[in-house]
Amino acid sequence: MTLPWTLAHLVTLLASPILVVGVINRTRARWAGRKGPPLAQTFHDLVRLLRKRPVYSETTTAVFWVAPYVTLATSAVSGLIVPMLGVGSPLSFPFDFVFFAYLWAAGRMALMLGALDTGSAFEAMGASREATFSALVEPAMFLSLGTLGSMAGASSFSQMLTFHGADPAVIVVRVGCTIAMTVLLQVESARMPVDDPTTHLELTMVHEVMILDHSGPDLAAMEYGAGLKLSIGCALLASLINPFGAGSPRLLVAAANLALMLLIAVLVGTTESTIARLRLSAVPRYLLAAFFGAVLALLASIWRTGGAL
Amino acid sequence: MNLLAIAGLLLLLGAVASLVAPRNSTRMGFALASQVAATALVLSAALPVIAWGTAIEATYRWSYPIDALRTRLDPLGAFFLAWSLPMTLLGAVYAVGYLAPYLQKGRNAGAHFALLNMVSLSFIIVYTAENALIFLFGWEIAAVAAWLLVIWDYRNQKVRFAGFNYLVSTHVGMFVLVAAFMILHSQTASMDFSAFAPFLSRPGTLRNVVFVLLVTAFGFKSAFFPFHTWLPRAHAAAPAHVSALMSGVIHKAGLFALLRFTLMLGTPEPWMGWFLLAFSGLSALLGVLYTATQRDLKRLLGYSSTENVGIAGLGFGVGYLGLAWHRPGLALLGFTGGALHVLNHAFFKCLLFYAAGAVYRATHTVDLERLGGLARKMPRTAVAFLVGAVAISALPPLNGFVSEFLIYSGLLSGEAPSGDERILLVATAALLSFVGATSALSMVRAFGLAFLGTPRAPEVHPSGDAPPSMAWPMGLHLAGTVVLGLFPAAGLWLVSPVARLLVDAPSARGPAALLAPLRTGNALLLGAVALLLLTTLGARRAARRHVTWGCGYTAPTPRMQYTGTSFSAQFVQVFEAFVLELRREKLPEGNFPEAESHVHTHHADAVERRMFESLGNGEDLVRGVAHRIPEEPRFAFAAGLISLVVILALLASHAGGAP
Repeated sequence: MTLPWTLAHLVTLLASPILVVGVINRTRARWAGRKGPPLAQTFHDLVRLLRKRPVYSETTTAVFWVAPYVTLATSAVSGLIVPMLGVGSPLSFPFDFVFFAYLWAAGRMALMLGALDTGSAFEAMGASREATFSALVEPAMFLSLGTLGSMAGASSFSQMLTFHGADPAVIVVRVGCTIAMTVLLQVESARMPVDDPTTHLELTMVHEVMILDHSGPDLAAMEYGAGLKLSIGCALLASLINPFGAGSPRLLVAAANLALMLLIAVLVGTTESTIARLRLSAVPRYLLAAFFGAVLALLASIWRTGGAL
Repeated sequence: MNLLAIAGLLLLLGAVASLVAPRNSTRMGFALASQVAATALVLSAALPVIAWGTAIEATYRWSYPIDALRTRLDPLGAFFLAWSLPMTLLGAVYAVGYLAPYLQKGRNAGAHFALLNMVSLSFIIVYTAENALIFLFGWEIAAVAAWLLVIWDYRNQKVRFAGFNYLVSTHVGMFVLVAAFMILHSQTASMDFSAFAPFLSRPGTLRNVVFVLLVTAFGFKSAFFPFHTWLPRAHAAAPAHVSALMSGVIHKAGLFALLRFTLMLGTPEPWMGWFLLAFSGLSALLGVLYTATQRDLKRLLGYSSTENVGIAGLGFGVGYLGLAWHRPGLALLGFTGGALHVLNHAFFKCLLFYAAGAVYRATHTVDLERLGGLARKMPRTAVAFLVGAVAISALPPLNGFVSEFLIYSGLLSGEAPSGDERILLVATAALLSFVGATSALSMVRAFGLAFLGTPRAPEVHPSGDAPPSMAWPMGLHLAGTVVLGLFPAAGLWLVSPVARLLVDAPSARGPAALLAPLRTGNALLLGAVALLLLTTLGARRAARRHVTWGCGYTAPTPRMQYTGTSFSAQFVQVFEAFVLELRREKLPEGNFPEAESHVHTHHADAVERRMFESLGNGEDLVRGVAHRIPEEPRFAFAAGLISLVVILALLASHAGGAP
């Protein structure tokens, strides 16, 4: 990647959490008939949090204050691997998506340990749910990305996502992957219908309950890290459904990717305004959808290869 | 080779000296001194073999029963020796601290340390043997020594039972191994490995039988599923360093032997690769499912050994497929990844067991439901366990990720002759990802419950952090875990001669080139964390202390914290079929219950409960079913259908429909 594109990637990566969250909140407000907060509201919230002094529980240890920064760092580094603009990424190497998945897992582990460090039953409850759901959705991610990779004959994120073909099997594979990735996005960034980011009852939360005790800059790091994950997920989905492939002009691809990202944010906001969160016991069944999407992609890939290469 | 013979003799001498010496301090002194000397000698013999890749051979005369003792140290044996002996030495050092309370009460440490010497001796024998009898001899020394080490606390009936269980299991595996050797002997009229090789490299039914027998025998040794049932018991009963050595070092001999015989197989057939993949995948999957439910920390770590040998086995399976399909790149990735995982697992598993041992020393319990908040009282141990937990969950930047990354890249490389085979490999990668995520769940649960939060049981008072003799081995294992993660080249240096031995690849650069970019990723990650922590230093200095937010409730007690069972409850619900929950309860009755009530749950090993019990009571089961067939048409129908399918399959295969 050339320097200007790398800079553009970084700017998009750093700004998109604020923009994506802003768009989602604005959409929700519109559905509720309100005007909604300004698009950059998240930015102001973060600045306010950064100025505050943190409060630590007497139960906690160093794990608690290291955790937010590990979460943020893993999200930020994983953002360098994903083609945010659909035209490649600064950090791209063979099987980088495995590194990507395990970076997210590391961030999750830090988040869960931070939650357990408080000794609060509520936070441990959230950690337990997070661990369960992510274990259930992880195979779907590897199935779909593995299929896409073997289909494209590529092993890095940016190559496999920009791979396009007129073959109907390729389209089915991409549809399957899109289903799987949508569910993955909902689980990983704690959105409806898996988790409700605005619920007011600790008992029903997954992600929000784990950061109950964080405050000040720590909370800012957590919020920004979560926003990064959300916008990285949106960018992933956007480059999956991006109609312009590697052959098109780069500016066009990037513009389409950004537009699709914002469109996905609007869709997320709409979903959150129109449907209710699933019952917790029903979530594992919902996660099966991701698995079926991935299996669909897998089967479609043999359909193209016809069992023999 | 003479260096190794001297090392062996020194170990024997040390063992004898520690048995006859008068005081515990001199006993341990003799054993440790001989271990140090033997380790130095072995390293000076093994490291050159690894560096230059040339094997050394020697033949000793022995009048009876084996005419010529043929020994050979090739890079494979050298690789295993290079870490097995130093780690056993560290285990012996740890034992000095761990056993101190027993020794103060007058226990004789001589036999225990002599046995640790014998374990080291068995490594020298097994890893250099070129003859099946000598190999079995070393194999048996390790098995018996491990058994005697496990029953250190032999006055406890449970410990004796666990030891006996292990002894029986390991000998069942031994029978299978002897059967394989008998077939080989009957075909080659020799007990020398060099004579086995020409027979094993020719395709044939007997070769297939021998392969299955060998994998079964080595599966028993390395505690693959479903031959793992002895393992959780033995690990829970043994002293921590013995658990660590068994899980991390001694039972790796099974994987060593698998590789040793792979060398003789020449070009394996594809089904062998699939067989290994299925066998290992099952081990990894079920091993990790059991870790999620255990409340005994050491049992949990025991099950995670089954998981991790499964992961290494997945690597070897990929290697087999690569050899069978004549894709050296794939084979190289598989074998390198598998062998590296063996080494990595030895580092972090010993680290975790040592930390668990330190917890046991300080609190006299490893029950997760009673522990809590240990990080404040035992910071060193907490750091050790945390590093081990991150490594075993295969998270970057530590070493577990490096080896799993290589195995993933083998599985996802798309190098397969047909589409069906390729998607099977992708599905295996998905399985591995599930194993990784579940392992993270178990490790978060173990670390979070034992070390974070507040103590759950008021009667558990940690007496202090690990003493130096326990802290040093932990520290060295921790350093190894970190170094192998941040500088994968160090691990590759040890492993790549092994892979080159197994795979005739034009260039062995594949794995190193794949791992190189991880350095950038890890550096970015660590840099970002350090930078973020530094910039927020000021804010943290100004921080205030308060109580944990209780969601409005102002009188929380430690008993209200989440427990291990509740943490994994939701996960277990999804996998009910595999995880057997035994429940004993007396629920309160009526509006004003007066009698005491309780609920007691326990997660049993489904294999032991269902499979072995049904094997044991097979006759009754068959009779029961036979009785029900005439009564229930469903059974009759199913039985008829099964016999029909079997008959049709036989006919089809007879007609040449199947190979």
